[in-house]
Amino acid sequence: MPFLVYLLLLIVYLVSGLGILQLFGLRLKPAYTITLSLLLGIALASFLPFLLQLFYIPLTAFSVFGVLVLGAIMLSIPTVMHIRREGFGGLRASLVPGRVQVQPYEVPFWVIIGFLIFVSVWRCYYLPPTSRDALSGPEAIAEYAFREHTLINSFFKVDLWSTNNQFKSPFLICLQLVYKLAGFPFGQVWLSPIFICIIVFLYNALREKVHPIIVGILLLLFIMTPETYAYTFMILYDYSNMVYMFLGLYFLFAYFSGGDKKNFYFSSLIIGIATYIRSETLALALLFLPPMILAQRRAKLPWKEMAIPDVLFFLPALIGYFLPNGVYIGHYLPVHYDVGALVNANLGDVSPLFKRYGDIVNRLLVSDFAVKLWGYIFFVTAALFVAEAVFVRRFTREALNWLYAIAILYLGLGFLGWLLPMVDLNDTTKRGMFKMLPLCLLYLANNTLLVRLSQNISRWELAPSSPKAAGKPAAAATRTVLTRSGKTVAASGPSGKTAPAGGKPSPAAPGSRRKRKK
Amino acid sequence: MKGFLLMLVSFAAIFILLNAGYYKEWFSAKPVQYWSDFLKEKDDTLDQAGILRQRYGVVYTICMRVKDVMIQKKIAHPVILFEPNSFYRDSLHIYPNIHAPEPAVFYYYTGLQGVWTNSPDVGKANFLLMMSKKGIKLQEIKDPRQLKLVLAFYKKYPPSL
Repeated sequence: MPFLVYLLLLIVYLVSGLGILQLFGLRLKPAYTITLSLLLGIALASFLPFLLQLFYIPLTAFSVFGVLVLGAIMLSIPTVMHIRREGFGGLRASLVPGRVQVQPYEVPFWVIIGFLIFVSVWRCYYLPPTSRDALSGPEAIAEYAFREHTLINSFFKVDLWSTNNQFKSPFLICLQLVYKLAGFPFGQVWLSPIFICIIVFLYNALREKVHPIIVGILLLLFIMTPETYAYTFMILYDYSNMVYMFLGLYFLFAYFSGGDKKNFYFSSLIIGIATYIRSETLALALLFLPPMILAQRRAKLPWKEMAIPDVLFFLPALIGYFLPNGVYIGHYLPVHYDVGALVNANLGDVSPLFKRYGDIVNRLLVSDFAVKLWGYIFFVTAALFVAEAVFVRRFTREALNWLYAIAILYLGLGFLGWLLPMVDLNDTTKRGMFKMLPLCLLYLANNTLLVRLSQNISRWELAPSSPKAAGKPAAAATRTVLTRSGKTVAASGPSGKTAPAGGKPSPAAPGSRRKRKK
Repeated sequence: MKGFLLMLVSFAAIFILLNAGYYKEWFSAKPVQYWSDFLKEKDDTLDQAGILRQRYGVVYTICMRVKDVMIQKKIAHPVILFEPNSFYRDSLHIYPNIHAPEPAVFYYYTGLQGVWTNSPDVGKANFLLMMSKKGIKLQEIKDPRQLKLVLAFYKKYPPSL
């Protein structure tokens, strides 16, 4: 029975998420549509029970599942309208991949990635939550919400002197509650779809840029970061926050590249979700205002046309911040949290700020401890960054976007650690660094040297085995050209075949589905 | 032929990655170990309580023993006072193998109220949980005078996680 409910929940998420994508008018490849729909649906499932609580509606199986189904029905209206307009064919094209082109040499990577996913999913399902941060806050609140039908339950009568985890976002509490109501006593199983969706999304995003073998290597580097992998079956906020923050930036940078407002507003929503999960994301999101303005100025938008969308951009993040923090913690919980009291009392002294920046590098990025946390992904990124700087001496605009995001994250996390001393290096900042991993991956996928390597592999792979058979030398089949913007593009591809990766300029909307000829 | 060569490259890349530096140690200690755990766990007949006992270890078992005793004794409103963990660390030297749970986690495990020696509600404590190498003991606190003596004894050990 729980597994049936689990599957039904996934369908509810898919329908809700698809509706949200339709609302934004986003037309994406099926792999993106499905993964994003599920991720949006999960975010919605974490938000609707919270809304019920804000209206003091008891959180029973009927009310929680009822509101999820109602949400899915309401959000399916745009999808229904889409179907009426374009028929089922349009919807099928959004969800069913066309001819899947999997090369045999991709299979070994999928086997090992599948193994890592399977082990993670099993632990999510079989074992109870273990982290102290979950047990002394969100998981305990969820357990008693399950029994008492309210998030404001008897847990708050306990001595909470030793913890502030009761003030964490309702994101995790609500998802735990949903799955406990579904018959999973330990909850947790909502984390696996998030993990799988981001892996599939990343695979497709990387596949647009580099050769599948390089995609496989990059993806393994990402999954095999020891610390982050542990958080794929240990419920906390940081893995989910990483996923949504990355997706927000992905669509923001897509807007930078193509100027499509849909991507801009969709990015705004996703960053709002990331802020709902971890409130400090708001501060990080604000740091993306300068490149936003720069991109808009580059597109020669007048100031008037920039101001209102830019303010609107931060609206979901502001809601994601103030609803749980200002409204819920401030006015609903019987215990209160004075964030002001946590601010560094000696802001005039900036030496701790620079010490924090140093500590992030020395302890979290280049030490033996760092290797145990992240494996070698940061070393690989740094090496290829230096190589690109030295040998290519320019970065593509896409690469610069991701490098900016990495720099902002480093500066932002250090600043937060200085501003709020409770943001300690070994826990909060360390987990904040999760967000850097997909950024590194996307930078690497836009690294000119890796793109050139991809092109060379693809060219060699697609060239006829015997030059005579093709009627011309294989080496002349394509030619790599470095454009003014620093992109390397294939001047001409082998006729009749599409290069598996690289060699083409980034599309305005990443993963956007081309209209099919009828 | 080219597909075959690229397949070899894939295998080589995976092999190198799984054997490179710390990845080798991590892969055998974590995912491979988790796989072994799975092979055992899939045939386990443990119920939910058994899985919790196995996962949370001795501290959880102690907490549940306390709960059982309270149920047996039919105590209406038990409030359990925990010895400070600094006492286990500095005096008994059994920390962190044995440690008192924080009240929030104790409530999650058992549904019972627990207090530290410095909790605002410490005055309501009616049982003292004492742990040592020899075992655990649940001592009833019968009156405020006795509680005062207990708190005075642990005064030099500040509560900690």
